[in-house]
Amino acid sequence: MGDTVLSFFAVNIDFDQSHLFFPRIIMCLLLLLFAAIVVLYGRAFFQDIRAGRRRLRFFEENYDKIRLFGTIVGVIVYFVLMDYVGTLFPNTGLGFLLVSIPFMMFLSFLYVHDLNRRKTVIILLNSTIAPVTAWYILGNLFNITLP
Amino acid sequence: MEFLTLLSPELFLFVIAGVIVGIVFGAIPGMTATMAVAVCLPLTYSLDMVNGLGLLLGLYVGGISGGLVPAILLNIPGTPSSITTTFDGYPMTQKGEGEKALKTGITSSLFGGLLSVFILFFFTPVLSDFAIKFSYIEKFLIILFALSVIASLSKKSMLVGIFSGVLGIWFSLIGTYDISVGGNGETRLMFGFMEYYLESGFSLLPVLIGLFGLGTILEEAEKGVKDEVQSVDGASLAVGTSRTRKFSFRVFKGQFVNLFRSGLIGTFVGMLPGVGGSAASVLSYTQQKNFSKDPSKLGKGAVEGVIASESANNGLTGGALVPLLSLGIPGDSTTAVLIGAFTLQGLQVGPLFIAENTGIWHSMVIALLAANFVMFLIMFFAIKYIAKVVTVPKYLLYPIIIMMCVVGAYAINYGIMFDVWTLLLFGVLGYVGSKFGIEVAPFIIGFILGKSAEVYFVKSLESFGSLTIFFTKSPIAVFLWILILTSVCYSIYSSNKKSSISS
Repeated sequence: MGDTVLSFFAVNIDFDQSHLFFPRIIMCLLLLLFAAIVVLYGRAFFQDIRAGRRRLRFFEENYDKIRLFGTIVGVIVYFVLMDYVGTLFPNTGLGFLLVSIPFMMFLSFLYVHDLNRRKTVIILLNSTIAPVTAWYILGNLFNITLP
Repeated sequence: MEFLTLLSPELFLFVIAGVIVGIVFGAIPGMTATMAVAVCLPLTYSLDMVNGLGLLLGLYVGGISGGLVPAILLNIPGTPSSITTTFDGYPMTQKGEGEKALKTGITSSLFGGLLSVFILFFFTPVLSDFAIKFSYIEKFLIILFALSVIASLSKKSMLVGIFSGVLGIWFSLIGTYDISVGGNGETRLMFGFMEYYLESGFSLLPVLIGLFGLGTILEEAEKGVKDEVQSVDGASLAVGTSRTRKFSFRVFKGQFVNLFRSGLIGTFVGMLPGVGGSAASVLSYTQQKNFSKDPSKLGKGAVEGVIASESANNGLTGGALVPLLSLGIPGDSTTAVLIGAFTLQGLQVGPLFIAENTGIWHSMVIALLAANFVMFLIMFFAIKYIAKVVTVPKYLLYPIIIMMCVVGAYAINYGIMFDVWTLLLFGVLGYVGSKFGIEVAPFIIGFILGKSAEVYFVKSLESFGSLTIFFTKSPIAVFLWILILTSVCYSIYSSNKKSSISS
């Protein structure tokens, strides 16, 4: 009797397949947990939706489309260009420097509210000085690899 | 006394620099101590271990402390851990006692911070000595315990907390089952075309920087990047004018028990893995309310509320380092980023850390003590200028942060563009995940501990061949199971209590 109980807990792991052993457990756990969440909270959730107490809305009300998607697109363009320009001037960090300046200007102008002349000057100065400082201190003094 | 050779004037300069930058990050709403440490990590790439740690610990202490400035002056917590400071700090400002509230908070922060450093110094070696005896089985159970604690204290529901943690583990398993730890060198959880990039999985630092840097900025971008500060009239920022009531250390008369208890609560909560600052200050604030002679005053500008909140959230700093240095498990999200700094320098945190790196350990304690005193001096005497920091506009800061994130991610493996894309991926994942209720802290802890958990679990089974070994290996294993059960029961109990109150 005791042996059959013990054999129930016995585990034999094939070394060739051992890389899949733990990930499979984790995936099963994730599915189980997800199912449990759906069972426990799903009904209340859909009742709330039907009663109008909760809405299936991903974004916040009146969310800022331009700033949100502008940021995402801007960052993607920033990374792609940085990589590309970096290959033109390898091992100088110039890809980082030359692309960071326009990117920072773009982002600052995207985020700023009530733009006026003073703010424009500050933004232009900030987005030039900050990358140059970072490039010089990190890349040249500290020898950190930059794109 | 070998550590004395490691102490240099530069170390203290780095601590001071760290504290100043940390206070700035902490004081600006929407920027946290974790973000400060993550963004400044690339600066430590070329420093040696001690100076790098000095900088990061300074950032940590400064970042947690800086949060009280906007909390008191503007009713906006600068960091999540200063939420309860707003309850009494802002009413004090409205009564014209802003400076008094600030200086009370700063002094309490110093006390809580120092108390936690003492506990760290005396308790960590004891815990390490104990943990050295742990085999893979106990280590696996410790990780299980850590995840169960995080989940049981998670804000929404325990199930979602566990789900977030397990999801973190899943992400950490992507890549090769490393031969150096006894794996078979095969890749898993990916398609063939990804193998080139993901051979060694996602790097920790780009993941962290993405979640805490870019993710936060995306959330702010959705809200339109508004500067809350501009809407507040300048008068409340004018600290120290002749009309305000002056601060004196007499406010602490009769508050020593509160100060001490709150610091202890903060330190203890800090030790619990993955539980951040807001839990510490909320807990000690409610305790003070329970013990207060006049609970009705709390929330209306009582000094004791500020003391409880600030002593607790600085107690966190030392506390969160205890499990990190003795077990290799981060106490909160900021110490999770610190793990990145250690691995960068080729150091393994865990039970052997103190024994093998006594010099570094002592320098860390000295740096933490120094950081607390520097924080106190800077905040106490330069509070007028720091108060102005909260008005620095975000449209200038956020681009700088993204730029620094890129430097950090790119340089971590000496120039791999894929790490920069990892940063973007996890920034977006963090933003989307938070919409579905995924919690970042359990996710990160799961991500950090996932690979070790696999090795401990699979290797134990390979050598013993039975699941029962996890229960029968040693008395410690049984004790850990009791702890795990306790934390699960506690969470079920508290969620039942919550739902019975709400219904």
